[in-house]
Amino acid sequence: MAHPLPPGLVPSEVAFLAEMEHVTVIPRQRLAGLELLGGTTPALNPPFPVPLPLWLALLLKRQKRANISPPPWLSVDGLSHILDFETDERTADLFSPSPELSDPTSTAPLDGDAYLAHEALELSPPFLKDAATARAQPDALPYHWLELGHLLLTHAADDFEDPDTVRRLLRDLREVRMSKLRKGFRVLGPGAGVKMNGVGGMEVAEVRGFVGGVVDGMRKINKSREESRREQEAEDRENGLESSSYREDEDDDMLS
Amino acid sequence: MAYYSPESILTDSQKAPCTFELGVPGLSPLNNGSAIEKGTKLDLPLWMAEMLAVSKPAGPSSASLASLDMPSALGQRVMNALKADPKSVDVRAQAQWFYGLGERMLELFEEEEMVDVLLDSFKQRALEIADKAQNTRNVQKGGDNDFMGGLDEAERQLFRAAHDGSSAVRKWFDNSSRS
Repeated sequence: MAHPLPPGLVPSEVAFLAEMEHVTVIPRQRLAGLELLGGTTPALNPPFPVPLPLWLALLLKRQKRANISPPPWLSVDGLSHILDFETDERTADLFSPSPELSDPTSTAPLDGDAYLAHEALELSPPFLKDAATARAQPDALPYHWLELGHLLLTHAADDFEDPDTVRRLLRDLREVRMSKLRKGFRVLGPGAGVKMNGVGGMEVAEVRGFVGGVVDGMRKINKSREESRREQEAEDRENGLESSSYREDEDDDMLS
Repeated sequence: MAYYSPESILTDSQKAPCTFELGVPGLSPLNNGSAIEKGTKLDLPLWMAEMLAVSKPAGPSSASLASLDMPSALGQRVMNALKADPKSVDVRAQAQWFYGLGERMLELFEEEEMVDVLLDSFKQRALEIADKAQNTRNVQKGGDNDFMGGLDEAERQLFRAAHDGSSAVRKWFDNSSRS
């Protein structure tokens, strides 16, 4: 049946989720902590920087109540370093790795439950803390790098030292990575996938429809072969190997 | 095959040549009213052809009602052309749902080589589609209408998926820079 929406997140949804990322904000005015569903935001006390969700930071920025300090990777140095890694011949097949996983901390809200203990929690890219705050790793792209970079550059361009160069580097990076991703399509097959380590959320959302379609189409063409292989395996398991050739002949007779 | 999917219904309504092994008086409406005798050749929709080829009439003879032949869309000539250069073949002229037809025929015939040829051409053409979907202006202007016009329905869906993905990203970029 036809579904109204394609499976997976569409780009606008990915971008919506990106606004939950925390960025470092340097407040210009006092503001008490806000009681939000996701927890209370820290009180703003100029000039001490605090981490805030991106959507709130952009709102305050628009009202000229705060400045956003861009994450270290979103700088001329950080981006050119990453771009060098992406274009280097030795690492030409790789995407620049995502930030290192942080050690589990002991600030778990649900301590006492063995399953929810922070030692058992393994955080992976979309849920990494501090991926876009001023404490972020300078030489790694977080999961939402494209969305964050774009939003910060459009709405808080005056907080950058050199917004035009950063913008240009970001565009270069996007193109380099996109062409790598396209190169990766060549290894697609009925049972094969592209290795997408380090690929950002927006990039995944962009190619999901196509990659899914190709793999699905090839799987359909390969279906008959797959089925006969599976039957063969099942029979081999049942009868032992010596009788399998006989069964194969029988199958051929039935089909012709 | 999904029951509610118009695509699989349309795929199954594509014609495949059949040769009747027996005279079947009851099926004369299929042959424009004239009688069906032994050896009559007819192009029948895939779903019916499959039923006739698989079903065995009750009686002394063990032959099935009709035998199914490979449609010319999947014939040796097309396979050779696909092997030579997948991108130059007008697949749509062969069958509207070319890969669907291939998939259904491969369920009935065991053709290892055809699986390879179809897989390879689907992949080669998919890569080309991905490139074409990036700059649609070229396609609309008619720069490469040969290739685009020759896509079968499955490939058109692929084109649309690739194009929708990048245009959704572009749309978000535009919207978020405006507000």
